[in-house]
Order: sequence, then structure tokens, then C-alpha cells
Amino acid sequence: MLAFLLRRLGYLVFVIWGVGFAAFFISHVVPTDPAAAALGSNARPAQIQAYRHKYGLDRPVYQQYVRYMVDLFRGDLGNSLRTQRPILSDLRDFFPATFELTLGAMIFAVFLGVPIGVLAALYQDRPTDLVVRTLALVGGATPVYWLAILALELFHSRLGWLPGPGELSPYLIEPHRVTGMMVVDSAIAGNWPDFVSSLRHLILPAAVLGAFSTALLARMVRSAMLEVLSQDYVRTARAKGLAGRVVVLKHAMRNAALPVLTVMGSLLGSLLTGAVLTETIFSWPGIGSYATSSAINLDFPAVMGVTLVAGLAYSLINLLVDVLYGVFDPRITYA
Amino acid sequence: MLRLRFALFVAVALVGGLLSFGAAQSARQQTLVIGGDWTDLITLDPGVAYEFSPVPILDNTYQRLVQFPGTDLSHVVPDAATSWDIASTPDGGTTITFHLADATFSTGRPLTAQDVVWSFDRVIHINGPSAFLFTDVAGLKVGSTKALDDKTVQLTLPKGVNPQIVLAMLTFNIGGIMDATEVQKHIQGNDYGQHWLNDHSAGSGPYMLDRWDRGSQVVLVTNPKYPNPPSIKRVILRYMQESNAQRAALTSGEIDIAYNFTPDAFKQAEQNPDLKTYKTGTFVMQYLGMNSGPGAPFADNRVRDAVRYAIDQDGIISNLLGGLGRKMQTIIPYGLLGADTTVYYQHDIEKAKQLMAEAGKAGGMQVEFLIPTGACGGGVPCADLAATVQSDLAKIGITANIKQTTSAQLYTIYRQQAAQLVLAQWSPDYPDPNGNASPLADFNAKSLAWRNVWNDPHATQLVNEAATSTDPAQRKAIYAQLTKYVAQNGPFAILYQPVYPIVSTAKVDGFARSAQGDVDYTAITKQP
Repeated sequence: MLAFLLRRLGYLVFVIWGVGFAAFFISHVVPTDPAAAALGSNARPAQIQAYRHKYGLDRPVYQQYVRYMVDLFRGDLGNSLRTQRPILSDLRDFFPATFELTLGAMIFAVFLGVPIGVLAALYQDRPTDLVVRTLALVGGATPVYWLAILALELFHSRLGWLPGPGELSPYLIEPHRVTGMMVVDSAIAGNWPDFVSSLRHLILPAAVLGAFSTALLARMVRSAMLEVLSQDYVRTARAKGLAGRVVVLKHAMRNAALPVLTVMGSLLGSLLTGAVLTETIFSWPGIGSYATSSAINLDFPAVMGVTLVAGLAYSLINLLVDVLYGVFDPRITYA
Repeated sequence: MLRLRFALFVAVALVGGLLSFGAAQSARQQTLVIGGDWTDLITLDPGVAYEFSPVPILDNTYQRLVQFPGTDLSHVVPDAATSWDIASTPDGGTTITFHLADATFSTGRPLTAQDVVWSFDRVIHINGPSAFLFTDVAGLKVGSTKALDDKTVQLTLPKGVNPQIVLAMLTFNIGGIMDATEVQKHIQGNDYGQHWLNDHSAGSGPYMLDRWDRGSQVVLVTNPKYPNPPSIKRVILRYMQESNAQRAALTSGEIDIAYNFTPDAFKQAEQNPDLKTYKTGTFVMQYLGMNSGPGAPFADNRVRDAVRYAIDQDGIISNLLGGLGRKMQTIIPYGLLGADTTVYYQHDIEKAKQLMAEAGKAGGMQVEFLIPTGACGGGVPCADLAATVQSDLAKIGITANIKQTTSAQLYTIYRQQAAQLVLAQWSPDYPDPNGNASPLADFNAKSLAWRNVWNDPHATQLVNEAATSTDPAQRKAIYAQLTKYVAQNGPFAILYQPVYPIVSTAKVDGFARSAQGDVDYTAITKQP
């Protein structure tokens, strides 16, 4: 197991190097000048030249790359051209909000997607199944930005059930920042009004972001369950006279969990990318919003920082999924 | 007995509930929440900031020597200085001597002439994006600002610098005065306190910075040392990039003011009795830049004239902008000295065709039409505006092939003088006519006239004469000549001067935004 982990972590270094390499060169073949972007439309040529020199943008690309990699190995992602701050500080500020939102979306997807998937499998080809399949189809096919605007209009503006954009009501004082996640921080501070407000603010963006994952998860759970339910051991369990609940929850679901787990791993990755749009519409101060404004302003170091962090997160999630395989299926061994 | 206790409990709970409800109501009334796209905020240091979003924040936290009275930007009035005298120096330069009012920083220290000197010299030392206003435009150096005593400060300007332009420039946040003693305590390395000033303020304005949560909000609270406490105690600028999100939050009352309504949404808001709409001024100019260099498609002024006749400005303003723009054809916008509102070109396709024929282009011509992504002035998508222009030009035989890029890419090409026809925006660096005249008409300023390869010595001469004249009437007369000359000969077809649409709930009173972006938060009140 340890050897497996070490080997996988070794691969991780190569993956991150590859991601960094691609991000660096893609951002450097864009036919534009980040200095011009940072200084705005009124900037004079002399100002632009001085800026290019200050940030080393006037050097050959390979020199810039070597310098970037050397800094990277020292744990320095460089400074953002736009905010002028170390990118690590920026990411530290913005990542927790994204993590909270993604986690919220995943919880939403698991707690809704798995039960309806199971229900659909148990009631195959009956009205329940039809409803779930239709919902899954619609949920999977709806673009997240459209869903976000629609949800905001309906649940916030028209019905008034849930609060609007942002993490917390503007009329409340923010809790002391510990983790950077508003719900967690307000719980730590024991601030009840903040906790309720931040939790309510999380519901709509998390549900919107999680909609696609819910749909996909429901379909995966349904098909995995259908397959497992037709297996001999399930029939045997039923024949033994075990209660239906025990058969489904203990025997069938555990075995159906494996393919579902694989999907969840890749879903987390798609949640991270979906967060870009959701965060922009819901004014969520996460790395999605940060990535958007960095990209618009051609802040290459920041874009590369976000890409690396997203790549790292994606790889770690996949590693975690591989490790969890063994937990769910003892037949799997790590060599 | 039990019943009595229960009644007492209910009474206490009711009173408690009412009191807390009252307190919450009052907190709401004293808090102003403004939703907008503040993603251009990168610093809250008045000596460095050179973006749009920090303007109202810094104007409410730092006093400057002089300011514009509300939205009237035609003359300056006292701020930290009660009065000032302008005198000539033997070498042909000028001095401006400011007499300071009694003011106290939020830190409790009095504002002195030494603070002004330190704040101004600091701008030059840091040499940030806005420092050229001090060094290039005003000709200031370290040592040009002197404290004559605690309450008198003198600025020495070199020959050729117009003190009127400098006064207008000092209204901008670069002229913000900070508590030198306080900021010096927080210097890291040689950053002159820049890092500290992103999360703290050290000014004498009515508000002070409480916190800046990047990407989330900027919170201002009242400065306890400010003499007249404003009605609004807390101002929150909430990041909301999406106009739909702003509309939703405004309708539900979660925010009080929204900065980024689309023209369509603004039109709907005008019909809604629960909302107030404001068409606030801007100095922005939406224009077509035509490359006029030798061999370029617009080298012949008759072709440029043809474009100016072909564009249907009224159609653009009423149909596309929904009225969120003013018709303008000259280079000095409404609101500045010398603004020229004359209509030199009436929409006339036949006349335009005739000019094309005279220029030998009766058979038409093809040009690359460079346009930015995103929204143009007045909130209209640039792609829509470009399509309208494209169809106007097609009527006179000009095939404009649209090439859409990000603004950053567009300006990279434009700066290399490599754009044939470009859809762009301009706003002056400082609220003085020279802020437009010099970049737009003087080739040597290496700005817009240069980018469009339009080198005209007569225009350059007029720009320089106006820039050095200290007599407002004389300047106005020179600008009248210049604006007419550039309108008829320059490399631009100006489309419109957008107004900035802002919407608030009906409960907000006293909101006004100047063309520079200033908002006096102390003038705002909120009904319960």
C-alpha cells in the first residue's frame, strides 16, 4: 500500500509538471501583451516597457520558463500581475470559498443523487423511474450559468425563499477568519445568525453547481444498482429471507458503490471547473471568480497558479478514489 | 401565579423581540450596500490606485487639498485647504500656496502641511501607475512640495505647467493626504506602507476602511474624528460581476444600489416604482479610430468624412443604447471646459457615397474592423455596436470585417499602429480638457493620434497653446478651434458619450455620481 502511494505521488510530480508546462506555454503563445493588459488602455509606451522589464516579460520565453520552474520548486508561484500580491496569498484567500462551495455541491449531489438513483433502480420502468430519468436528463443537459440565473430569479427574487448572491448577509458582521469557509468559521465563532445566514447563502449556488453531478450520479447509481440487483448473491440473500432493506443497503449498495465512486472522483473535478461560472453569477469569492478576472486581465502567473492548484486537486482526488476502492472492495490489492 | 409568570415571560419576549427588530431596522437604515463589478480593485493606496472602482472609496476616506463640488466638475472648491494663491516665479514657473483647514485623521492626529509634503513625495518615490500625473503632467519632483509652516504648503510648478490643470488633477485620489506618522509605522522594506494601506486607511475623510475581503466586499465605517457624522454609518461595496445577480439582489432589497444594469434592465427599472434610476455622467468617449497613415485605408480625409456621414448616431443611441448615451462628435466631452456640442455631421448616406467616389473609392473597400469582447460604453455588447456600424458602413461600400479580441489584445495591436479600423473607448486621465486634447490631437503625445497615425502640426500647436494658457476664457476659445478642426480632419468618428446607468431602491435618497466616479456617501440617506 505504501509503495503504491509513493509511486502514485511520484507520478503526481510529473502530472503537475506537465500541467504547468502546458499552462505556461499556452499562456505565452497568446498573441498579446500582459503588460498592456495590466496598465490599461491609456498607458504610454514608456510605461509599458518599464513594466515589461520589471516583471521580466521582455526576456526570452525559455528564460522566463526556467525562472518560473526554479521559483515553483521553491514553493513560490510568483506574484500576480494584477493584484501585485504573491499568488499563494491570493489562492489562500480564494480557495476556501471554492472548497466550501464544491463540498456543498457534492453533499447535495450525493444526498439527492444516490437515493433517487436507488429508487429508480428498485422501481425500474415505473413512474418513479421515469421521473428520475427525466430529471437526470434535464439536470445533465442544462447549462450551469442558465440554471444559476433561473434559480436566482425564482428562489431569490420571485419567491424570496433563499438569499441572493454572496456568502453572508451584508447586514451581518463577518466571523473571524479561521478556515476561510464562512459556514465553518461562523460555527467556530459560535455566531448563530452568521451560521444560519451563510448556510442559507450556500444552498442555492451549491444546488446549482451540484445539479449536473446529481443527475449523473443518479443515472450511474441506477445502472450500477440494476446490474447488482440481478446478481446471484442478491437473489441468494433474498432467498435466505433477509429483509428487503438489508438486501439493498448492505449487499447491493456496497457493491454498486465502486463505479459510483469512480464517477464521483471525476465529478469533483468537473465541479471545480463548473465553479468558475457559478461563482461569477453568485458573486462567490472563490478561485473561480479569481480565475475569471485573472484570465480577462491576462494575468498569466495567476492563471497558471489556478491551473496548477486545480491540477493538483484533481490528481489528489483521483488518488483518494483509488485508495477508497480497496475500502469498498477488499478483493482489490495495491501492488 | 403560573399564569402571571407566563404573561410576564410573553411580555418580556415581545419587548425584547421588538427592541431587537428595531435595532436591526436601524442597522439596516445606517448601512448602505452597493453591488457592482469591483474586480478592477487592486489597491486601496491613494498614491497608487489608478482604476475606476477605488475612486469613490478613496474620495470618502482621504481628503485632498481641493475637490469638485458634487457632480459639477467645471471648477474646484476647498477640501483640506481653505484657500490658495497662485503666483508666478522669476523663471516663468508658478507656485500654488495652500492654506490648510483644521482637520483630524481617523488616527486622531491633526492634518499638517508635513503630511501633505510626505504624501506627495511618496507618490513620486513609489512611481506607481498614476505617478506620471505628478511627474509628467504637473512636473513635480521630490522637493517641489514644501511646508512653509504647519498649516501652509506650497507647490512649485515648472514653466509651461498650467496650475489650473494641476488643481483639477489634485482632486483625483493621487492628491489624497495621509497621516505620515501612522503610515511610516507600517512600512515594510521600501514599500512606503503600500501593503498596510490595502487593509487600513490613514485619511481624514468622513469614512475609514474597515476591511477589504478580496473578491467579496469592501467595508467602510464612519471616521469617529470627522466633524459631521453622516447618516450612513457603514458602506459596503459588494462584488457582483453579473448584472442579473445585481438585479435580483436589488429587487429583494439585499443591496441598495446596483452599478451594472444592462440597458434593457435599466429600461424596465425606469417603469418600476420601487426603484430609482440615475443616468450619471461620464467622460467616456466611444469612438471609431481610423488609421490615417500613408497608404492606410483612411489616409484620405474624404474617406474619414464619408464614415462620419455614414454613421447613424441617433439610431445607435436610441435603438441600441436605449437612450443611455449623448450625441457627440468632438474630442472634448460634456462636462469639461471647452466641451463642443456642435453637430458637424448629419447622417447622410448620399453625401458619404459622394465623398467615397471623390476619394476614388466608388467601388468600395475592405477593412479589418478590430473590436473588443464584452460591453462597450452604456453597457451595450461591443459585438452589437460593431454590427450596427458594420451595416452603416456597408451602405457606402466599406466592407468592415469584424475581428473580435479581448481588450488587452486589441490594445496591443492598436498601440503598434497596426489597427485599420478600431472600436474603442477613451476617458481622460484627469478632468481637464487637456486630458483629452493632448492624447487625441497631439501626435507627439504617443497616444490616440499616434496610434491612428494622424500627425497634424496645426492640431499639435493648438493643443500646446491651450495647455499653457492660464486664462480660462482664452483656453475655451482655443479649444473651440481645436475641437472643430479635429472633428473635421482627425482620425476619429465619435459614436457617443455614454451615460452610466445606476439603479437604487426607492428608499435611497441623495445619491449622485460625478463623471469622475466620485460619490459623496455622506449625502446619502436611507428611508426605513
